[in-house]
Amino acid sequence: MPGVICPIRGGPSSQPTIKRAIALAKEKNLDLHFLYVVNLDFLAYTESSRVRHISEEMHEMGEFILLAAQEAARADGISAEADVRHGEVGEEIVGLAQELEADFIIMGRPLGEQEGDVFSIDRLERFIERIESECGAKVVLEDEVEG
Amino acid sequence: MNATFRHFTLAFLLVFIILGLILPGEGIQAQEIDPAVLIVGIVKDQQNQPVVDARVVLAVDGENDPVAETITQEDGRYALVLPRVFPDTLSVYIERSHFQEYSLQLNLNEIRELGAGETIVMQDVTLQRQISPAFWIATLVFLLVLALIATGIIHNTLAALVGITVLFGVSYLGPILSDGLFIFDFASSMRYIDWNVIFLIMGMMIVIAVVENTGIFQWLTFFAYRVSGGRTWLLLPILMLITGIASAFLDNVTTMLLMTPITVQISLALGINPLALLIPEVMASNVIGVSTLVGTPTNILIGSFGDISFNDFLVNLTPGVLMAFAGLLVYSFLVYRRELVVAHDASPLLMDKLAERGQITEREQLRKAAIVFAGMLILFVIGEQFHMLPAVTALMGATVLLIWIKPDIEEMIEAVDWTTLVFFMSLFIVVGGIQEVGLISMIADLIGRMVGDSLLLTMLAVTWFSAILSMVIANIPFTAAMLPVIAFLTATVPGADSKVLFFCLSVGAAMGGNGSLIGASANMVTAGISEAAGYPITYSYFIKKGFPALLITTSLALVWLLIRFL
Repeated sequence: MPGVICPIRGGPSSQPTIKRAIALAKEKNLDLHFLYVVNLDFLAYTESSRVRHISEEMHEMGEFILLAAQEAARADGISAEADVRHGEVGEEIVGLAQELEADFIIMGRPLGEQEGDVFSIDRLERFIERIESECGAKVVLEDEVEG
Repeated sequence: MNATFRHFTLAFLLVFIILGLILPGEGIQAQEIDPAVLIVGIVKDQQNQPVVDARVVLAVDGENDPVAETITQEDGRYALVLPRVFPDTLSVYIERSHFQEYSLQLNLNEIRELGAGETIVMQDVTLQRQISPAFWIATLVFLLVLALIATGIIHNTLAALVGITVLFGVSYLGPILSDGLFIFDFASSMRYIDWNVIFLIMGMMIVIAVVENTGIFQWLTFFAYRVSGGRTWLLLPILMLITGIASAFLDNVTTMLLMTPITVQISLALGINPLALLIPEVMASNVIGVSTLVGTPTNILIGSFGDISFNDFLVNLTPGVLMAFAGLLVYSFLVYRRELVVAHDASPLLMDKLAERGQITEREQLRKAAIVFAGMLILFVIGEQFHMLPAVTALMGATVLLIWIKPDIEEMIEAVDWTTLVFFMSLFIVVGGIQEVGLISMIADLIGRMVGDSLLLTMLAVTWFSAILSMVIANIPFTAAMLPVIAFLTATVPGADSKVLFFCLSVGAAMGGNGSLIGASANMVTAGISEAAGYPITYSYFIKKGFPALLITTSLALVWLLIRFL
């Protein structure tokens, strides 16, 4: 059954997004799928030789963050799937949405502009248009909270 | 087979011994040649440092053809070998790029002595610096490289490569326009690369690559959780100690790359803000790393340049580092007292996942790595008795590990961060450029005049100058540039021959990294992973927490240095 995809980073700013995704999945009776994307761009100017190992560590951390989100969903009475992917955040969201033929994508709306962030306000609008045209999924934005 | 081998070895040894007895050594040859007529002397700069590669010419006054010529060696010494017949009026000319030409006419007595076949020892010559266009170019290139590194516009290594490309371009093409544009040639620039540093870093990278695959960091972190029973007042110091001790023997960046993800997971399981553990951890890493020669890249640079052994670092810095750590611990508790309150009981599901992660994954590999690492530590400590450079120990350890563990060699070679090694080599040349043209000498002279003869004032100046500057500029190029300055101050300030100023530089450069997010690579890596977990560390946040820590830790370490060396 196609469902709801909720890409998260973890942390307090993701909590409203997680809650909204859970509520929407319950309301529409859809499958819920959390996504964490490992992106190692921050290593570009520091430790290029550690990519493989740190990638594994980040994968584990992503699984842990998703496990916490799954636990929150379970506490709310629904089960959720979780997926850790590696690569560029936008590409991975689109890829998963296409694979699952998702109905909804719940994302956090950033509080301010952040350089290079796929979710910066300008890029976010273009990104939403792209998702909706390529996957047919409706994008729902939830305001993030101060971390 | 064994007998054949023994025979071969014995034969080889015999041949070797016989050849050693038969073939004349250099000393014997020197005895056999005719005694030459020599003029010998030493050429130094204004900082009393030997000037290498200066051209020393003996010529008849006003004539171009030299009677004899040579160049100065690494120690600034020269020896002019005179022909059997030479004229009565002779002068010694000394030329060197970036210095004013020096000339001295030999007096009649000296000419007579030479005529009688005696060797003349000239008085020491001090060459005066000359500011040429090359001086400004090398200075601008150094500042450009620093700016590129600080802004992160391009990769550090690329920034340093851009720097050396400009230096060589100007040195080789510039003289077409003006001789004053020459900085140094390729061969001279190679002299500035410290191969002890390069090979030590490379060897340690291989050792670290083997250790990091064993799961030891994950196990230690989970062990900290189990020992503390989730009580954060106990968990925090244990994690800080683990991180600090690991950083003293491995590099800080690797330690934080491995510690941060698992620390985030423990924090999430306990329901506390990960920054309350991560920031003290990375600061402990920057502080405790100072206590050993291999703990920080800056210590590796300082140890190699200042000929400071593993033991010297341990003995002279560890008490100060422990004082600084105690101060940091108290500070961390005060700053994060609210965040360290556990929000809820640890989630069993998350704890199970953590326990699963907190396992040694390669037990046999860890056992072998521990044995080799212990051997390396012993060699680091006793190596100085045999004049064994730390780089040799690191390479030996890395090779033994590779032979014993037989890991995928391609994987291990990939684990060597070649970009960092190229960065170091290029950086040595860029800093060599400003040394060559005299900028470092001028700075040394200036600081020397400012601090005068006071060791106390010099210690304070070096420590705080290094700490504050390391907040805003990368501490590796800064330290590399400061080393000749410190060497000059060590030679001129009374009481500084204990090398205390090198320790002040070590403390300042490393603990200064706590003052800002860009002050240390480990800070940046921690921030990157933390942000990926939804807990961003902003520049202002880090300065707010880090700058007071810089003041506390640097002050305490400095107090120890003052107690020990004054």
